[in-house]
Amino acid sequence: MKPPLLSLVDVNKYFGDVHVLKDISFTIEQGEFLTLLGPSGCGKTTLLRCIAGLESVHSGDILLHGRSIKGIVPNKRNVNTVFQNYALFPHLNVYDNIAYGPRVKKSMTETELTDRVRDVLDLVQMLGYEKRMPHQLSGGQRQRIAIARALINEPAILLLDEPLGALDLKLRKHMQTELAHLQKKTGTTFVYVTHDQDEALNMSDRIVVIDQGKVQQLGSPRDIYNNPSNLFVTTFIGDRNIMQVSVVETGETHAKVRLGENVVSIRKPKQHSLQAGEDAILAIHMDKMRVSCEETANALRGVVSSIHYAGSQIRIELKVDEKTITVVEYQKTECECNEGDSVFVVWEDHGAILLPLEEAWIERGV
Amino acid sequence: MKLKTSKFGAFYLSLFFVVLYLPVLSVILYSFNASPSTAQWTGFTLDWYRELFRDRVIVESFKVSIEVALLTALLSAIMGTASAVISMWVTDGMKKAIQGMMVLPLLVPEIALGIALLIFFNSINLPFGHLTLVLSHSLFCVPYVYIMVQLRLKEIDRSILESARDLGATTWQVIETVILPLVTPSIITASLLALAMSLDDVIISTYMSGAKTTTLPVHIFSMMRVGVTPKVNALCTLILVGTFFIVGLSQLTKKQNKEAV
Repeated sequence: MKPPLLSLVDVNKYFGDVHVLKDISFTIEQGEFLTLLGPSGCGKTTLLRCIAGLESVHSGDILLHGRSIKGIVPNKRNVNTVFQNYALFPHLNVYDNIAYGPRVKKSMTETELTDRVRDVLDLVQMLGYEKRMPHQLSGGQRQRIAIARALINEPAILLLDEPLGALDLKLRKHMQTELAHLQKKTGTTFVYVTHDQDEALNMSDRIVVIDQGKVQQLGSPRDIYNNPSNLFVTTFIGDRNIMQVSVVETGETHAKVRLGENVVSIRKPKQHSLQAGEDAILAIHMDKMRVSCEETANALRGVVSSIHYAGSQIRIELKVDEKTITVVEYQKTECECNEGDSVFVVWEDHGAILLPLEEAWIERGV
Repeated sequence: MKLKTSKFGAFYLSLFFVVLYLPVLSVILYSFNASPSTAQWTGFTLDWYRELFRDRVIVESFKVSIEVALLTALLSAIMGTASAVISMWVTDGMKKAIQGMMVLPLLVPEIALGIALLIFFNSINLPFGHLTLVLSHSLFCVPYVYIMVQLRLKEIDRSILESARDLGATTWQVIETVILPLVTPSIITASLLALAMSLDDVIISTYMSGAKTTTLPVHIFSMMRVGVTPKVNALCTLILVGTFFIVGLSQLTKKQNKEAV
């Protein structure tokens, strides 16, 4: 059996006394776009630097094509990095920047090199910029050159450390599409680090959600978005209303839970078992909820506290059993409500999930 | 109110420059004076300059000064750059130690440094001459190169060096293809400074000069014992022009350095 392209086996890393990576284990397959997603300081960049060889691991192993690359210096690993600030050589023009890798490794003749530089410049749509110096380029252009400079080495894996972080919103959206397209075109395996969930959901084949140095969940964007496996992922991905409820009874697919005087039926989680009498967490996507003026089955009763119009979106805040809930509607159809009105909140069945209550979260005041 | 203070400021500044540059100007002026006395101006002449170039001892010591200065600049550039670059890879404690040792020669009084070197070179039986002059001048020139290169290195983004490694460069290749090209302007500026400092050093050179190898400033100093002759004025004028030229050149490279980044 062919080994996976890259395997991380129980990787641990300390900075002094701080345990930054805790037993990280997962594999990366050939040709996939994998994103490491997490809040700042969660260890995602450190993990990327460990793969690049810019940081050493404390224990555990990193295998490329089934062979350990632990202790191999960065220049001997077939892995290249695109840095957050692009890190182009300021004293070299675009051509020499891109030619840097093959030149120091003496892997090509100068004539071969000319053709290859042309190829990668074409790939990132920067033909004709060969003679420019880095300081004469815009942020987006520098980004493309940094990618071209890495791709010319034909790395087994391209590591990208928040490469779009410094760009403005519009350019960022554009580059997202372009990066995903580039990845498909070259077939290069991308490992992408970001704290932006939209970026991760948009581009990735798979997402690894990391928090406090631990892998919280690994799965497809759809899976992570719809079936978060724990509370961290539930709160980090997608905008959800989080409520503490108590389980009344459990059925085959759904469970009845109580929130104040409301009793509603919610889809049961796949990976956790829940017992009647237990406390649990109910999380519902804001944009999968709707306000209804008429009493309906499986609804929460609440009082409208404020309504905000933001273009095509309407954000309605309600008080349900002393808790504030936000509902995002895209067009106002159902009912004309005003502040102070008593209404009912309903939701799409798959937009709501139940999770067991974790001790740590009670402290955070859920 | 504001006008008044600015007028006072202008006056103060003019006074400052007059006090600073009037003596220098008088030296230049009297080097062209036909009379050997500074008491009166009797007409314009270039005789003192002609006499200067006919003086074998002066021409010889000028040659020594230039040779020593060039070698000092070269040696300081190599040693200062090497220590600055090496200190990028050592531990913080080691770095502080290097830094301390580098700054020390600037703090030790030159007279003490001169005596110490005299005793040292004497005890190892090194003949006084070009070699002792270059070594002792480098002692106080290396720190300048080290400091200037160090400042430039601090400005270099660490991720540039990491990306060079990442793209396949060995440590030596990173130094050769990234670090050195980026610090070259600072090395040039610092070497020019070293050149100027070596050229006008008197105290240490007095101790280090050999029987036949005397630097120009040391020779001028000995000439002064018999009194200030117009020949000395002419010589000082030439040195002044030379120093201004070198400093101007170093400022120019500094400016270009700034523009490139």
